[in-house]
Amino acid sequence: MDTVALFLTLRLALITTIILLLLAIPLGYWLAFTHSRWKTLVQAVFALPLVLPPTVLGFYLLVFLGPQTALGRSISHILGHPLAFSFAGLVVGSVIYSFPFAVQPLASGFAATDRAMLDAAATLGSGQLDRMLRVILPLSRGSLLTAGVLSFAHTIGEFGVVLMIGGNLPGVTRTLSISLYDQVQDFQYAQANRTAIFLLAISLFALTLLYSQRRRSDFV
Amino acid sequence: MPFACAILLSTTLLPAQNKTLRIAAAADLQPVLPALVTNFEKASGDTVTISYASSATLATQVLNGAPYDLFLAANRAFPQKIVDAKLAIETQPDMYAEGTLVLWVRRGIFFGAQISMQSLTDARIHHIAVADPVHAPYGAAAMAAIHSLGLASELQQKLVYAENIAQAAQFGQSGNADAALISKTLAITPTMQQAGRFIPVPRNAYQPIEQCAVVMRNATGKQTALDFLHYMHSDAARLLLASHGLDVSTQ
Repeated sequence: MDTVALFLTLRLALITTIILLLLAIPLGYWLAFTHSRWKTLVQAVFALPLVLPPTVLGFYLLVFLGPQTALGRSISHILGHPLAFSFAGLVVGSVIYSFPFAVQPLASGFAATDRAMLDAAATLGSGQLDRMLRVILPLSRGSLLTAGVLSFAHTIGEFGVVLMIGGNLPGVTRTLSISLYDQVQDFQYAQANRTAIFLLAISLFALTLLYSQRRRSDFV
Repeated sequence: MPFACAILLSTTLLPAQNKTLRIAAAADLQPVLPALVTNFEKASGDTVTISYASSATLATQVLNGAPYDLFLAANRAFPQKIVDAKLAIETQPDMYAEGTLVLWVRRGIFFGAQISMQSLTDARIHHIAVADPVHAPYGAAAMAAIHSLGLASELQQKLVYAENIAQAAQFGQSGNADAALISKTLAITPTMQQAGRFIPVPRNAYQPIEQCAVVMRNATGKQTALDFLHYMHSDAARLLLASHGLDVSTQ
């Protein structure tokens, strides 16, 4: 198996997951407790990557965030290079691509917090941020794990976006799924099989972890 | 409900009235084939569907039972694999044209100055798009040219790999790459001409790109495939191939 691609993929998944959790916790909190009439639209927008073909995302990243638009040029100016063919580009693509997998478990987890506990905390003088950090987050450990594991696993499984904007650079943008694709095209079925089994094992492990945790929490 | 039924029926159960020819074509033929297909459909009354990808992708699909009638590759080696697997009618791949590799550079980078392969070492060129040398014959030719011109070590950091030659052109056209080593068939399309200019890569820097075809032995549209291939060798079709950037003098 292509170990360079393996470590690149793990690095991409880890960085994406960290960024996603940082973004999804405040957004999930807002979605869980807001009464805004924009809630439905916001929910729909952030769920888009669930149904949108990755090629749509690849197209926008390549063309509208490419050097031919003002936005693309300013990104290029800040990064020192265009988003395409770079690790940063893959991170941006992955964060968008896996967004719903982080936000949805968190929003429903936060919403399921026992209101009586929140009221009790408020009565004892706990502010909004304090309640978030000391009541909601600890009670939503399961949802945090779900969001993290799903974001990580989904990023490892990313293919279409990477194929469109990556440029297949070893150590920069050649992820495991691309490496598997190359091995199949090159008729190296034995190698392809090793990569495929590894990807299968990672996915199965992630989902087993998830369901075992969920089962435990059923008895709490 | 009736609407849903109509959709399901339309793609699955409709009996084939006219014959359908399913072509698997190398990505460099994307700007070339439509004109040929239109003429062929008009003359024969048959329907043609085309799937474009890199030659390796298509060869892998064919070897694993993809239902194509005709495989138009961008080299000799991939159709040869089909022949070796005893899946082709032919005993050897049928060459229908020779391809030309060109260097395409985005408009404005060198303004009016003359360009050559050596221009790629210029600091204004950040990314050079090539097709994946394993999947795509034009990618292999591009890498061969880079190596034989002694530019490999200087250009290594600038190369980005596209899945097929059409994607390499797209990387250039969209401005993400400053230069691309692509097929002449793509470089002479209006879109690419508008976005940049091109020069041929020195002919002795890479092996001839012998674009070959095979007809699938088990194809349902075997006869139509043979008819189409026969048409590709006709004077009218050769004229069209030539006007789209393919060399038919050695065909």
